[in-house]
Amino acid sequence: MAKYMCMDTLKWLLNDVHSVVDLFKYERYQDYDKDSVDILLDTAKSWSDQEFYPIFREMDENPCKFVDGQITSHPNLNRILKKAGDDGWIGNTFDYDDGGSQMPHAVANATNHIFQCANNHIPGYMGLTTGAADLIRTFGVQALKDKYIPKMMSGDWGGTMCLTEPQAGSSLSDITTSATPQADGSFKISGQKIFISGGDHQAASNFVHLVLARIDGAPAGTKGISLFVVPKHMEGNDGTLSYNNVETISEFEKMGQRGYATVHLVFGEKGDCIGHLVGQEGKGLKHMFKMMNGARIDVGMTAASTAMAAYHHSLQYAKERPQGRKIQNSGKKDPNQGQTLIINHPDVRRMLLLQKAIVEGSLSILLETAKYSDLAHVEEGDVKDEYHLLLELLTPIAKTYPSEKGQEAINNGLQIYGGYGFCMDFPLQQYYRDIRIMSLYEGTTGIQSLDLLGRKVTTQNGAALQLLLKKINEVTDEASNHDELKPYVDQLNKAVGNVQQALGYLLPMAMKGDYESFLADATAFMNMTSNVVIAYQWLKMATSAKHAIVTGDTTYQSKFYESKIHTMKFYFKYELPHVRATLATILNDEELTIMNEDIDVFA
Amino acid sequence: MKILVCITKTPETTAKIAFTDGNKEFNKDGVQYIMNPYDEWYALVRALELKEANGGTVTVLNVGDSSNDIIIRKGLALGADDAVRIDTDALSAYQTAAQISAYASDKSYDLIFLGKESIDYNGSEVGGLLAEMLSLPYVSYVSHLEVSGGVSTVSRDIEGGVEVSEVSGPFVLSAAKGLAEQRIANMKGIMMSKRKPLTVVPPADVENPVEVVSYTLPEGKSGVKMIAPDDMQELVRLLHEEAKVI
Repeated sequence: MAKYMCMDTLKWLLNDVHSVVDLFKYERYQDYDKDSVDILLDTAKSWSDQEFYPIFREMDENPCKFVDGQITSHPNLNRILKKAGDDGWIGNTFDYDDGGSQMPHAVANATNHIFQCANNHIPGYMGLTTGAADLIRTFGVQALKDKYIPKMMSGDWGGTMCLTEPQAGSSLSDITTSATPQADGSFKISGQKIFISGGDHQAASNFVHLVLARIDGAPAGTKGISLFVVPKHMEGNDGTLSYNNVETISEFEKMGQRGYATVHLVFGEKGDCIGHLVGQEGKGLKHMFKMMNGARIDVGMTAASTAMAAYHHSLQYAKERPQGRKIQNSGKKDPNQGQTLIINHPDVRRMLLLQKAIVEGSLSILLETAKYSDLAHVEEGDVKDEYHLLLELLTPIAKTYPSEKGQEAINNGLQIYGGYGFCMDFPLQQYYRDIRIMSLYEGTTGIQSLDLLGRKVTTQNGAALQLLLKKINEVTDEASNHDELKPYVDQLNKAVGNVQQALGYLLPMAMKGDYESFLADATAFMNMTSNVVIAYQWLKMATSAKHAIVTGDTTYQSKFYESKIHTMKFYFKYELPHVRATLATILNDEELTIMNEDIDVFA
Repeated sequence: MKILVCITKTPETTAKIAFTDGNKEFNKDGVQYIMNPYDEWYALVRALELKEANGGTVTVLNVGDSSNDIIIRKGLALGADDAVRIDTDALSAYQTAAQISAYASDKSYDLIFLGKESIDYNGSEVGGLLAEMLSLPYVSYVSHLEVSGGVSTVSRDIEGGVEVSEVSGPFVLSAAKGLAEQRIANMKGIMMSKRKPLTVVPPADVENPVEVVSYTLPEGKSGVKMIAPDDMQELVRLLHEEAKVI
């Protein structure tokens, strides 16, 4: 079986770099220890080897199909989701009282990384069911919890999030799905939802849709949106299921993630479709967004993992593929010399190192963000607020960087395969297609960038950014103890200064009320900020690795630690300098993208 | 039914193997370990199946230091009831078998299982030595087992077919592929594993008669050469001139 992830790197990040054991001192997580986490990760890997990876290609080659009103996905999905429920993988972060295992999100994300590396088409089915159950658990009344959560956690029923409509994608304030109050307190739901991941398939006997809709007479805009639980089939008191007029009318044929069903649902067109309010009227979007941090981190993890698997395939290929000869010091090649493996060519090494820098940097920030999510949950008072701010700030970055740069990483991996990378016989093309959705769903890169600059950076007068700077300073202080790392401390400090310089230029626009100019280059700001955040992750990793070398830690081989320091240096040489170029773009006061009716730009 | 399953740890299958001390010692630096797959996938899982069908207990036993506790906990997570660790390094097949024998001799196990071999040293010796030391019958490389009353029916894959035998009473079994199917631990099992009893016992006074003179690694695999499917001439040339096999 091909290597699709690196367990050493994952465990090292979790245990050494991000010290997940810090969490186990809190009462909520006291049943966990390092060994139980290692066993969980090993178990996830064994299951992935056995069930996920072997059907990764099949799920693409035999995608979900819509026939006679039914979606069929890969037949193995039936037993995989059953086992996911039986073995406790669905909702494992929930409270014990809700049937969960109180698993820290950092650990759950690490196990998810393994699943996603093995097959990015499957974990979404489990993740969305968890997310939907979490909404009911958090905001639903007890009767809804009792009715839905056990069957969702058992894997018998699937869960979905129904936000997007044909006319309302990124702009959710424009949704039109309606909810008409009934005398018994329920609502009749009517409307359409598109791009519903995991919305229908043969492996679940029922689907529990969490639907955003407007109660009749509700105000326009987001304040008129409420959240409803709408099952495909209503369960009677005797356990029988009756159709609730949630119709699947198509499966979207996609360029990637073709084994992960994406459906078009119509509610209540051919008969009454009943839903129940979850949480408060008019708070639907707010409730949904409470869960969105987790969903966005999940997407970031899917992207990082997809690119991670592509990296390991590229690396293996480069180690096996002979092509060309090494250039001699004379500048000539000796035709009598045997061909060299392509991993010996500098340009191939550059592409591999770029992949490694992106995917491991992504994984690192995702685990750190997930840990902040845990700390925001278990801490109290000001400390809790601080971790919440950090989580809010880092979430759009942890979603966007892996989604955007992961594409670049896989693109470089495909390049390493040469023409074979373009061929369906090799897996890189599938990773290349699969990752493309990650910068689109759960909020596009544009939306994430607006969120980062327009909301997260400015919240509480920049408090979140100050907290991040404090975290960066902790790392640079520690890194400064090692002569080898000092030059990189300086480089990171300068890059942080570049971000501050950009903000110094942009924020006055917001203060003047010129929001369009303020936000016009939000994506550029996202690029430079996420670049700096990943540099911070790499310096953190390098510092941990250097510490292990200096102290003679033999948990991993010395070359493992050295490779991390080397990759940090690569990142600082090849990636971090882009921050300055982006700063120049932001500081350039020509407004070329803002609509100007005097110029027909696209004539 | 009281079953003892002997488990050992082996380097993870992708671990880089190296030697130190004049090639007399295995270099453990940076090596990650797993439970020997033959012990886990076949011996332990079949023992658990028998317990589930007939009642009884499954105890996992390991010879090693506390760094082995994690693989012991994995055995508990999979469903073993309790565990024993004999607190000394496993230095050779003989010494390991003698340690297990010293512990198990007065425990009246109905069955003693272990994998047919460990995937690192591939010695396939501990089972036979242990059976001899305990004066029990030994059936190696078992790919199928049924237990009814006090009689076990065991199948072994042999050259060209399958050998079926019957064994009465307690015996030692080494497990081969086919005896059971790999199990994946569940969340509850993993979380319960640290609450199950793990008894650490001091080692018996056992000699180790084996001295390693040196280890050497097998020759590395050469790189892959891609040849166009229709270029038979190039394939023949490479097989003749480079691989020198024709």
